[in-house]
Amino acid sequence: MCKSSFTSYFLVFFILSFLIFGASKTGLLNPLDSFFKTIFSPVQALTYQTFTKVTDFGQNSQILMLKAQNLILTQKLVDQTKLIADNEALRDQFQTASPRSANLVEADVVGAPGFVPGLSFPETLILDMGTNDGVRVGDAVVYKNNLVGKITQASANLSSATLVTNSSSQFIAKTLETGASGVAKGQGGGEIILDNVVLSDNLKKGDLVLTTGAINLQNSGFPPDLTVGKIISISKNPSDLFQKAEIQPLIDFTNLQKVFVVVNY
Amino acid sequence: MKFLAVVFLLLALLLEVSLTTIPLIFLVLLCLMVASKGNWLFALAFVFGLLFDLLSFKTLGFSSALLILFLFLVLLYQSKFEITTGYFVAIASFLGSFSFLFLQGYTHLILFQAILSAIIGLLLFKLIQRFNKVG
Repeated sequence: MCKSSFTSYFLVFFILSFLIFGASKTGLLNPLDSFFKTIFSPVQALTYQTFTKVTDFGQNSQILMLKAQNLILTQKLVDQTKLIADNEALRDQFQTASPRSANLVEADVVGAPGFVPGLSFPETLILDMGTNDGVRVGDAVVYKNNLVGKITQASANLSSATLVTNSSSQFIAKTLETGASGVAKGQGGGEIILDNVVLSDNLKKGDLVLTTGAINLQNSGFPPDLTVGKIISISKNPSDLFQKAEIQPLIDFTNLQKVFVVVNY
Repeated sequence: MKFLAVVFLLLALLLEVSLTTIPLIFLVLLCLMVASKGNWLFALAFVFGLLFDLLSFKTLGFSSALLILFLFLVLLYQSKFEITTGYFVAIASFLGSFSFLFLQGYTHLILFQAILSAIIGLLLFKLIQRFNKVG
């Protein structure tokens, strides 16, 4: 075959393909494309079904049916397990006296940016409730009667809660037994300290640290008497102005799947 | 020969859009080109490339351009080698399939698919040669 003859054929069809490619990329051929797809899709579906049946041929029909049933049952099992977990979480939460259940919006944790199990600690949680559900920036996030964090961002359907352990988190807290007041400061990495406690106040190892309450006029903020954690060590130096204590939260933030947002306290 | 080509290509098209990622259209075109060296195969490559893109939800014209380019490369080699041999078809099937799959964005088992393509290409070539002799 003469080289020039096939080169001209090649050039004609190659340029034509290239032009169609360009037109398709820019969306010029979209109406034509969808028209042909509508025509060909039944043929394609028929071919796929036919070949699938051919490949299934020889397999025991009972096994195929059991496989299909197994898929449905697996899905049901997943749904039921989730329902049981949801039910338990709701029952636990509504058994606590404070915050009142009428002020709570149940939210699922749908994300924890930057959290890698075993490597890092969650600093914020993404919740599946937003302003459409009554969640506002500044609302407290709790689990049972434990303080989890505060809503710092809210969109229509999602919100972001900054955990109490986050280094940007600061609020007034008090101890349960001795009534010592101080500033609870998140340290990042799952740690909290109770700082700025005057030396004359008494701090006790094992004492619980609670919120003092910081509700603003818009009815958002931290309700009083939510548990922040337990004092595990005290740092007191007579030459310092203040003493401080290390607090261990009572809940495991890495395993939280459901939390409650306190709205309109 | 042309009727046979269309039948083979239609079958390859149906299989490729519904069952497998092995580039069967390319293999059929390659074998037909090696066996017949007809310029009309460029037109078939153009049409079936478009149909393949259309049915596999890809950008129209991409597969046509690739198929036409591969056929052109095959014809370019005929001045240097004897291309109507099983060895050439196997090697061209392997390299062509590998490149075609890679350019289409497939990464899963493409080496295995390319080896399988070489075997299918060789068998198809023998089949087309037999049809040619009978015809």
